[in-house]
Amino acid sequence: MGQATQLLTALLGSLGFALIFNVRGRYLVTASLGGMLAWGVYLAVGTLAPDIFLPTAAASAAVTAYSEAFARLKKTPAIQYLIVGLLPLVPGGSLYYAMRELMERNLAKAGECGFQTALYALGIAAGISMTLSVIEIFKNAKRLKKKS
Amino acid sequence: MSAQLLSRELSGIFARPLFSVRKGQRGACKRAGDMVFFEPAGRNKPEFRMGRGPRSMEDTPLMLHTLLELGESMLTDGAEIRSVEDTLRRMGMAYGAVRMDVFVITSSIVLTMCFPDGTSATQTRRIEKSGMTNFRKLEDINSLSRAYCEKPFPAEELSERMHAVKYAKPSVPRFLLGSMLAGFAFTVFFGGSAADGLLAAVFALLVCALQLYLPLLCRNKVMFSFLSAFATGLLISLCGRLLPSVHSDKVIIGDIMLLIPGIAFTNSVKNLFVGDTLSGIMRMIETLLWAAALTIGFVLASWLLGV
Repeated sequence: MGQATQLLTALLGSLGFALIFNVRGRYLVTASLGGMLAWGVYLAVGTLAPDIFLPTAAASAAVTAYSEAFARLKKTPAIQYLIVGLLPLVPGGSLYYAMRELMERNLAKAGECGFQTALYALGIAAGISMTLSVIEIFKNAKRLKKKS
Repeated sequence: MSAQLLSRELSGIFARPLFSVRKGQRGACKRAGDMVFFEPAGRNKPEFRMGRGPRSMEDTPLMLHTLLELGESMLTDGAEIRSVEDTLRRMGMAYGAVRMDVFVITSSIVLTMCFPDGTSATQTRRIEKSGMTNFRKLEDINSLSRAYCEKPFPAEELSERMHAVKYAKPSVPRFLLGSMLAGFAFTVFFGGSAADGLLAAVFALLVCALQLYLPLLCRNKVMFSFLSAFATGLLISLCGRLLPSVHSDKVIIGDIMLLIPGIAFTNSVKNLFVGDTLSGIMRMIETLLWAAALTIGFVLASWLLGV
C-alpha cells in the first residue's frame, strides 16, 4: 500500500467526482489531474514537514493556482477544477473516526481525530485564500500600472 | 433635448462639485432620471459602454426575469457568489443599464437595473432548492453570458438560449458510474483493500438511488443526510458482520466521501475569503450541520450493529 496507490486512487476518485458533477468530457482529464496534483504536493511537502496543516495548505494552494490558470486558459469557470481537485484533501476518514470514538467515549482519541479534521479543513481554507489573495494583488498591480 | 447637449450642459453644472474627477481625466457626464453619472472616456470595452445596448421598454421585464433565472441556475449549479454577481452585472450593462445593483447570497438574489431614461427595474428571487452540482450547465451558461456581453442579442433570444441550456438533463449513467468509481477509489485511498473498494462501489449505487429519490420525500438537507447515512451505514455494517474479511469502516469512509458536502465547504471558504462573508458563513454553518448529521448517521448504524 504505497504512495503510488494513493496517487492513483486520488486520480480515480477525482475522476469519479468529475463525472458526478457532470464536468464536460474534454475537461475531465484536466480536472482529475488536479486531484492527483493535490495529493502529490501533499505527500511531497509531508516528507519535508511531517504535519497535516502545512502539506494540506500547500496542496490546496497548488490546486487553486492550477484551477485559476486553467480557467484563464480555457475560459471556463475555475470552480470546477478547484472542487474536483480538492476532494482528496477532504477529511472523510478522520471525521468518521472522530465521531466514532466519541460514540465509544474515547474522548482523548475523539479529540485527536477531531483536531486532525479541523487541521485539514483549515489547511484547505488557508491554501485557497493564500493563492486567491496573491492573484488579487497581482491583478490590482497590473491594473494600477496600466492606469498610470 | 439631444443627449449631447444634455451631457455638455450637465458637465458644466455638475461635473466639478459632484464627481472627484482627476485632473486631466476625460469623459462625459450622463444623466439617468435623478442620477448623474460620469463615464470616463477611453474605456470602450463592451462592459463599459454605459447605457448603450439593445434595450427597449417592452423587453425589460423579460430581461430582468431571464437574468434572475440565469443567476438562480448558476447558484444551484455550484458557482460561487462573486461570479454570479459579476456575470449578472456585466450582462445588465451589456443590455443597456447605466447601473446594476446585484446582491446575491446563497438563498436570495436582489437585482436592480437603472436605465438611461431614468427608469429602473427591480426584482428579488428566493432561492430554495439547493440542486445538483452540474458544471457542464454552469459552463454553458458562462459561455452564453460571454457571448452576450461581446455582442448583445435580443432578450427573447437570450431567454430561449438560456432555457435550452437550463433544462438539459444531466445523464444518470454518468452519475452512477462516477459514484461507483469515486466510492471504490476513496475506499482504497483511505486504506481499504480492493475487495472493500468493490463493496463500496456496490453501495455507491445505493447512495445514488438515495440521492436521486430521497429528496422527493425529505426536503430538509440535515434530515436527508442523517437518513441516507443511517440506511447506508446499516447495510454496510450488516455486510461487515456477515463477511468478516470486510473492513466496514473503510467502506463507510469511501461512501461518506460521496455524501460529504465537499463542494459546499470549498465554496463557502472561497466566498468567505473574497469578501462575501454573509454567504460564506451561511454555507459553512450549513455544511457543518450536514457533515455532523452524516457522520452521526453512519456511526450510529455501525454502533448499533457493533462492528
